[in-house]
Amino acid sequence: MTRVEVVGVSAGYGKKQALFDVTLPELRSGEILGLLGPNASGKSTLMRCLAREKRAKGRILLNDREQLSIPQTEWHEQVGSMPQAPPAPSALLPTELMWSTARALALDLSDAELAAKIEQVFSRLGLDAVALSPLHTLSGGKRQLVGLALAMIREPSLLLLDEPTAALDLHWRMAVLEMVRKEISGRGGIVVAALHDLDLAARYCDHIAMLDHGRIVVAGSPEEVLTADTLAKVYRVEAQIRKDSDDCLAIDILRPI
Amino acid sequence: MRRCDVTDIGVSLQDRFNRIKSRRQIILALLTLATLASLAMDLQAGPASLGLSDVFAGIIDPASLDLRQRIILWEVRLPDALIALSVGAALGLAGVEVQTILDNPLASPFTLGVSSAAVLGASVAIVLSPSITFLPEAAILPALALVFALGSGLFILAVVRFGGGARETVVLFGIALVFLCNALTAALHYVADADAIQQIVFWTIGNLTRAGWAEVWVVTACFLVILPFSLRHVWVLTLLRGGEAHALSLGINVSRLRTWVILRSSLLTAFAVCFVGAIGFIGLVGPHIARLLLGEDHRFLVPGAALCGALILSLASFLSKALISGVIIPVGILTAVVGVPVLLGLLFRQRRMP
Repeated sequence: MTRVEVVGVSAGYGKKQALFDVTLPELRSGEILGLLGPNASGKSTLMRCLAREKRAKGRILLNDREQLSIPQTEWHEQVGSMPQAPPAPSALLPTELMWSTARALALDLSDAELAAKIEQVFSRLGLDAVALSPLHTLSGGKRQLVGLALAMIREPSLLLLDEPTAALDLHWRMAVLEMVRKEISGRGGIVVAALHDLDLAARYCDHIAMLDHGRIVVAGSPEEVLTADTLAKVYRVEAQIRKDSDDCLAIDILRPI
Repeated sequence: MRRCDVTDIGVSLQDRFNRIKSRRQIILALLTLATLASLAMDLQAGPASLGLSDVFAGIIDPASLDLRQRIILWEVRLPDALIALSVGAALGLAGVEVQTILDNPLASPFTLGVSSAAVLGASVAIVLSPSITFLPEAAILPALALVFALGSGLFILAVVRFGGGARETVVLFGIALVFLCNALTAALHYVADADAIQQIVFWTIGNLTRAGWAEVWVVTACFLVILPFSLRHVWVLTLLRGGEAHALSLGINVSRLRTWVILRSSLLTAFAVCFVGAIGFIGLVGPHIARLLLGEDHRFLVPGAALCGALILSLASFLSKALISGVIIPVGILTAVVGVPVLLGLLFRQRRMP
């Protein structure tokens, strides 16, 4: 059973404050929280605070323990994060990257177990055909999937994904989030994902927090957050919200305001 | 059924990966053989007639050679040939680590300013001829080159420690240090007489013939002490080739890693150049050749870069004696002449591949 609480978080860069008293819905095992908001709304800063890459005021609790009270090694065992940028386009092979990551992190797996695990992750992410191709020969989308594979190798309780679908095509946008959902519901994990795609957020997130200028505008279920009024206020667009054939919210953006 | 399919695919991926690893092990073995062959060629090259069989016989049983041949083999050729291997290996190892940690293919041990500082130290020794009571006169030049080189390494380490450790900062401070040392060396040139300037130029080009057994042992010991620490970091260095952001997100302390790598590279470079001069190019091209042959997995790349460095400098040492009969060309001139064609050949071959 995993639990994440984020209460009254503030952070900034020098004198410039980027987050103001951010409180997120309490998250429990198997749930996905989507962070939405326009560019420079504070999504990535909040992700960095959650990942413990940036100091923040306020309370971030993982399983009722203060973030900073958890030893560094234990924290990284429990929390996996995928940065916005995909792995660098070097001559490294995705398989080498996975092996080196697992060994650098001293994962307690035999060579055979690790090989099987890497193969399994690659297979689920559709990477088996490029597992031995240098990263610089892969598309941005494939490299982003390799980045996701890296974040998942430790099977973390809390998975932080910063725009995980930005470089992916339509199939993989949905496939990745389907897979992430299946993964965390099987293990009882939690996912926090910064997203740009409103339809994906509506379809896959249990909770959504809408940020603007470093403040939470509204947080709650997709139905509560994704309203025409909120989109007009935050994104300055006129939108129509309806239910699609799967009974999911579908957002039609009509025009800028 | 589906599970079986996935496992089948998995086995074949692991098998293919194992084949790549085996191929790289074979390449490492071939590089080792090539280096040993180059060492043998280097040992038999020189103005005095001492063939390969004499060299082997003289190494196994020195008494089999006459006194003149014994002195040539044991006091001249062996130290020269072995310092080429140890300096080349040290610069190759330092180069690959610096390139990875700074994520910069143009980086080399010299980017950090260590070599320029060594040249400055040597220039101080040559121009100002300081006397140091506890040091014999012959040791003053390498000692000052070493002290200056280590000082520059400490300066860069301080930049990493207190300047946040960003790789761009390290590169920029390294370049600034290169310019500062070059400017101070130029100032010494300005006040030096023609004889001193000639000595500085000769030292700057790099020359293996001034090395003796003491120098061979010091550089080899430095390399052998540092190599295990480098090998301990091969996984994390490989992981770093996926990008610093991913390494940080996985909890890798990149700043601490950078400190260790720069400390190791500075020590290797300082000890390598203080005895033989600023032999350029090895630390840049050795790792590139190794990378083209062995890929980015540092389990193979780190020993491969050391071997490539040793091989290039050994070949350059051989050519320095073999190109013009009776003349020993300073090896620093030849390192680029040997290294550039090899690098270009590999680059073109790689481009032709699908």
